[in-house]
Amino acid sequence: MTILQGNPVSPGIAIGRIYKYIPFDPSVAETFCAPEETEAQVAAYQTAKASARAELDTLFAHMSKENPEKAGIFQAHTDILDDEVMDEEILAGIQSAYMAADYAVATVFGTYIDMFSQMEDPLFKERAMDLQDVQSRFIRNLHGIEERNLSSLSEATIVLAEDLFPSDTATIDRQHVMGIVTELGGSTSHSAIIAKGYGIAAVLGIEGLMETVPDGVQAVLDATTGALMIAPDAETLAEYEQKRETFLKEREYTQKFIGVEAITKDGVKIDVGMNIGSVKLPEHQEHAEFIGLFRTEFLYMESDHMPTENEQFEAYKSILLAMGDRPVTLRTLDIGGDKKLDYWPMPHEENPFLGNRALRLCFAREDVFTTQLRAALRASVHGNLQIMFPMVGSLEDFRRGKAAVEAVQVELDQAGIPYAPNVKIGMMVEIPSVALFADKFAAEVDFASIGTNDLTQYLFAVDRMNPQVVEYYQEFSPIMIRTLAQIITAFNQAGKPISICGELGGNAKATAILVGLGLTKLSMNTASFAACRRVITGIEASKAKDLAEQVMAADTEAEVKQLAEAFIAHI
Amino acid sequence: MFTKKVKLVNSAGFHARPASQFVAEAKKYQSKISVKNLDKGTEAPNAKSIILLLTLAIACGTEIEIAADGPDEVEAVEALVKLVESGFGEE
Repeated sequence: MTILQGNPVSPGIAIGRIYKYIPFDPSVAETFCAPEETEAQVAAYQTAKASARAELDTLFAHMSKENPEKAGIFQAHTDILDDEVMDEEILAGIQSAYMAADYAVATVFGTYIDMFSQMEDPLFKERAMDLQDVQSRFIRNLHGIEERNLSSLSEATIVLAEDLFPSDTATIDRQHVMGIVTELGGSTSHSAIIAKGYGIAAVLGIEGLMETVPDGVQAVLDATTGALMIAPDAETLAEYEQKRETFLKEREYTQKFIGVEAITKDGVKIDVGMNIGSVKLPEHQEHAEFIGLFRTEFLYMESDHMPTENEQFEAYKSILLAMGDRPVTLRTLDIGGDKKLDYWPMPHEENPFLGNRALRLCFAREDVFTTQLRAALRASVHGNLQIMFPMVGSLEDFRRGKAAVEAVQVELDQAGIPYAPNVKIGMMVEIPSVALFADKFAAEVDFASIGTNDLTQYLFAVDRMNPQVVEYYQEFSPIMIRTLAQIITAFNQAGKPISICGELGGNAKATAILVGLGLTKLSMNTASFAACRRVITGIEASKAKDLAEQVMAADTEAEVKQLAEAFIAHI
Repeated sequence: MFTKKVKLVNSAGFHARPASQFVAEAKKYQSKISVKNLDKGTEAPNAKSIILLLTLAIACGTEIEIAADGPDEVEAVEALVKLVESGFGEE
């Protein structure tokens, strides 16, 4: 038995077979065939095309149910696969130029990929990616390699990958994927967010993972401690089957708290809200009292063009209607940093997280900002909307953002277009400068929400995407807690709503501290509702306040964690 | 041979989804169909190929010429022009 150690990001115990997920490399050699072999090559080409089409049909059918908008991508891929002109050219390549089938496919696709890559219009330029995708599927089928996707597995599986991207996890088989282990990624990476959202055990950041672990072997993943055990002996296996059962029972008990009103034993009501990032409300949304963070990036990331005002309006309207009276906090575009758009090329930056991202980028592209604000304000008549700016670093930033909203309101007035008159304008607190100036901000803004991921990153100058510096990312540090205290106190004193929407807000281990610091609004992924509500209903706010004092007096993060865990151990 | 000119009105131009609809419609007819981008002077000699259509990079407001040659050329051109004029069902 080999044991590898990583960073546990989504708790659980998984037992299953290792499945190494490796994206296919579609490069082919320049190969020709003898004239008498052309018939066999044409037959191979036709067979590969048929099996590629069958794959696309399956994906299309699957996605039509899960995400009709994304299903359209697979329809487009089928169109490309069936293209008459490319078909003629590939056949000519085999029959007249005696190319091997894979080389002919690569040559013809390559020509068009180049052609699209050179186009100026980003909308058309992006078609090169579709062609690449289809080409890769085509060649993989020609080489007789089965698709390594995560959508249809036959048994309990622990997935190993270098890293996982949204395209890999869109169709993940939640019934069979028991655990996720990756080489890269920290607690806020896409892999971590997906795993937590689906309640899949996950351990990230194991160096050399893909090289050391063989495919198909039995393994145990303990994502409470971060251990991956390869080929465990019978004794270990039995032990972890027991542990898994206990974990699941505990989780099942916790799950009973999912819709319970979050009131502490001494009567302090905590509002529990959800973070969302799609136009479809997540599972358990009915238990959310508000939306504390509506990430709007998906509209931009899932589109092949800059989303129009109407496209955005429809999306915002549908969320507002679905939420009814419950407040919806729309965060304006937070792109740049780790999120990039294909149709909006941005210059390379040495330090993208310190660069032209989020609100700064919106200031640089006023048209994009104005379009989003118009869409949001127009939608505001359909529900209870508030607008929040990301990456505010100074009062000037906030004032400039607010002025943009007011300018759009004037435009709408002139055009006679209605919008809700009382839309609150607030901000994310994620740059440490804001914490130092919290009283000034509290006096000026309508509300604020603390984004703990970026706040931690900027407070400790640690790149949250870099696995080599994970240990320096200390969201439980007493320094972080004191920073939170400063912000929360300033807003509470000014009588302005303050909430939290970063990972810490949904971490049940932090809940008691946050309540103790005086927060009464927590926003998180719906997957965290049960665990956090279980803690809230099990504590007294007055004692949590003592806990907060204690942790602020602590020296190290380890001490804070120990105190926090001990405080909720009996719940 | 029957030809007709029409202007693209949908906001994003002839991108993937409209092109897909166009090709699906074109394939319903036996006639040979071609499309010209009159603004750029480029041509897709086979408009039943989505790839050729996309290489024309037809933006919103571009005038195109649809030509068909064959037994159902008039019906083909009329149907395709109607599809383009409708803005492919976009707002």
